Amino acid sequence: MNALWWLALPILLLPVWWHRRKRVQNKAAPMATARFLPRTEPRQTRVWLWRDPLLLLVRCLLLAVLIGWLADPVYPFRGDTVVVTEGADPAWALREAAQAGLANAERVTLPAEQALGWVHTHEREWQRDARLLVLGDVPMPAAQPAFGRPVEVRTQAAAPVKVERHVYIASERAAEWRRMFAAQVGPEKIIVDDTPDAATTLIVWDRAETPPASLRASLWWVTQPSAFPELAKARTLSGMRYADSARGRLWHHADWPPRDPEAARALLDDWQQLHIKPRPYTMSSQAFAADKDANAPAPGGALRGILLAILAALFVLERTLTHARRR
Amino acid sequence: MSLANTALIAHTRKLDLVIRHVLAGLGHGIHAGRERGAGVEFSEYRAYVPGDEWRRVDWKLAARADRYFVREAERDSHVAVWLILDASASMAEPSRSVDGLDKLAYARMLLGCVAAIAQRQGDAFGLVVLGSGKVTFTPALRGPRHLQRVLSQLQRTEAEGDLPDTETLKASLHFAQSPSAIYAASDLLDWPSPLSIALTRLRQMRHDVRVLGLQTQAEVDASFSSDLAYRDPEREEGVFRFGADLKEGYRRNREQHFGALTAQCRKNDIPLTLAAIEQAPGEVLRRWLRRPGR
Repeated sequence: MNALWWLALPILLLPVWWHRRKRVQNKAAPMATARFLPRTEPRQTRVWLWRDPLLLLVRCLLLAVLIGWLADPVYPFRGDTVVVTEGADPAWALREAAQAGLANAERVTLPAEQALGWVHTHEREWQRDARLLVLGDVPMPAAQPAFGRPVEVRTQAAAPVKVERHVYIASERAAEWRRMFAAQVGPEKIIVDDTPDAATTLIVWDRAETPPASLRASLWWVTQPSAFPELAKARTLSGMRYADSARGRLWHHADWPPRDPEAARALLDDWQQLHIKPRPYTMSSQAFAADKDANAPAPGGALRGILLAILAALFVLERTLTHARRR
Repeated sequence: MSLANTALIAHTRKLDLVIRHVLAGLGHGIHAGRERGAGVEFSEYRAYVPGDEWRRVDWKLAARADRYFVREAERDSHVAVWLILDASASMAEPSRSVDGLDKLAYARMLLGCVAAIAQRQGDAFGLVVLGSGKVTFTPALRGPRHLQRVLSQLQRTEAEGDLPDTETLKASLHFAQSPSAIYAASDLLDWPSPLSIALTRLRQMRHDVRVLGLQTQAEVDASFSSDLAYRDPEREEGVFRFGADLKEGYRRNREQHFGALTAQCRKNDIPLTLAAIEQAPGEVLRRWLRRPGR
C-alpha cells in the first residue's frame, strides 16, 4: 500500500509551475543613429523565465523526499547471504555453505525460531540475483512458508538442550506424584524440590488447607477445590477445571493423581504444550522457489531514519532560502 | 597613437591622466598662440599652487620669503576658450569594437585636452554642458585650479535627456562677449538643432567656432550586429532592426544627413571635423585644433 504514495509524485509539478512564469521580453540595445533606419515591427519573444532555480530544486527535492518517506522504499543492498541459526554446528555450516558455493557470502546469525520470519520480512532487501541459504536447526513452521524470492533451507537437527523443571509437591501421596514425574522422558528433566523457591514452575497442592499467601508458581495442580475459593467459578474442559488466581493458574481434576499411564502422559503433555512450549521439530531440507502469490512483506522502515534526516535538512534549507529571497 | 590609447580612455577614470598622456604625445605649440607676448605686464604675486609652471615662480622672492610666489601677469591672453559639450542621451552611443568606450567619454577627454592647452597658454576657459534639457555653465577663468574644476565638471557629466530648446540656449549666449574660441563636441545627429542655431549665431558674432562631430566606426561602416533589436535613445519610436538589406539605406540616409550638415557648416564658415571615436585621440585633436586653411 505504501508504494501507492509514489503516485503522488506529480505534486512536484506544483513548484515547477510556480517558478515558471511567462514573460514577454523585449530587449533592445540603444543606437544613436537608429533614425537612419526604417522602423520595423517589434519582434517580441515569449520566454519561459526560471526564477530562483536553487529554491525550485530544494522544494522539488523536499517534496520528493517527503513522498519517499511516506512510501517507505526498500533499497536492495544485500548480496549473497547465508543465514545460520544459533547453536548450529559451525563446521557443518561452513561445509554446507561451501557446497552451495556461498563460502564467501555474508553471514547472518539468528535465533532458530526467527530465521524464516526474518528472511520473509527482509526479503526485498536482497538484490535480484542474490542467493539466500538458511542453515541450522530450523523449526518446522505451522504453515508452509512462501517467499517472493528463491530461498534454500538446509537443516541439521541439533542435540536437544537439557532443561530442568522444578516442581514442588505438597501431598500426603507424594510418592505417587514422584512416580508420575519420573516417567517423563525427553530433554526436560523434572526435579522435585523439597521447598518451593523462585525457580519452581509447578506446585502440586494435594491438601485441604489453604496454601500460605507467599507461595507462588505459574501453575498449580490442585486436588481439593476447597483450598482455593477461585475454583468455585472455574470453567471445565474435558473433566479438568481451570481458573486464574493471584498465586498463578490453577488446574483441578477430581481423579488426580492420575491412575493410568495414558492419563499421566496426557497431563504431562498438556503441561508441556500449554505452559512451557511445544518441542521444536526440525523441518526437512528443502528449496523454496519464488512464489508470485506470496504476500509482499510490509516495509520495515529501514530508510525512514535517513529520509527523515534529509527531510529536516531540506526543510531548514528551504526556509532559509525563502527568507533570503525576500530580503 | 594607437588603439591602446583609445582603450586607455575607456578604462581610466582619471581624466587628467589621460589628458596628460595625450598631450605628451602631441608636443607643445599646438595652439598657434595668437596672443603670444601678451601678459608680460606684472600685476601681482600670488601663492604658488601645484600645477603652476616653475618658470613663473619668482625665485628672488622665494629666497627672501622662503615661500614660492607666482608672478601673475596683467592678462596673459584676452582670448577666452569656451568648451561646449553635447551631453544628450545619444552621446552614450558606445563603440561596438572597443569595450567601455562611448562618444561622451571621448568628447570629455578631447575637451579636457583643449582646456589643458588653454590653461598652459594662460587663456581663460569655460565649460558649457548641454544635457537633460538644460545648460550647465562653468565660467571662464584661468589657472590650474580652474582646470581641475572644469575636469571634475566634465567627469561628472552623464549623457541623458535632450538638448535644451532654442530659447533656453539663446538666453544663455551672453557668455561670449569678448572674442572667444568656441570648441563644440557633439554627435551632430540633430541638425538643425538648438545647438546648430546657437553655433551659427556665435559664428555670426565673429567668434572662432570649431565643431567636432563624433561618430563610431560601426556608424561609418554601417556594421551593426543584426542579432539585436535597437531603439533610439532620444526618441520613443519603437524598435529598429539592422540587417544586410537595410545597410545601403542606412548609409544613404546617413551620408545625406552629414552631407547637408557639412554644406551648411561650410556656408556659415564653421570648420567641421568628423572623427570616429576609435581613432587615436591625438590625431583627432590635432585635426580639430588645426587652423582652417593651413
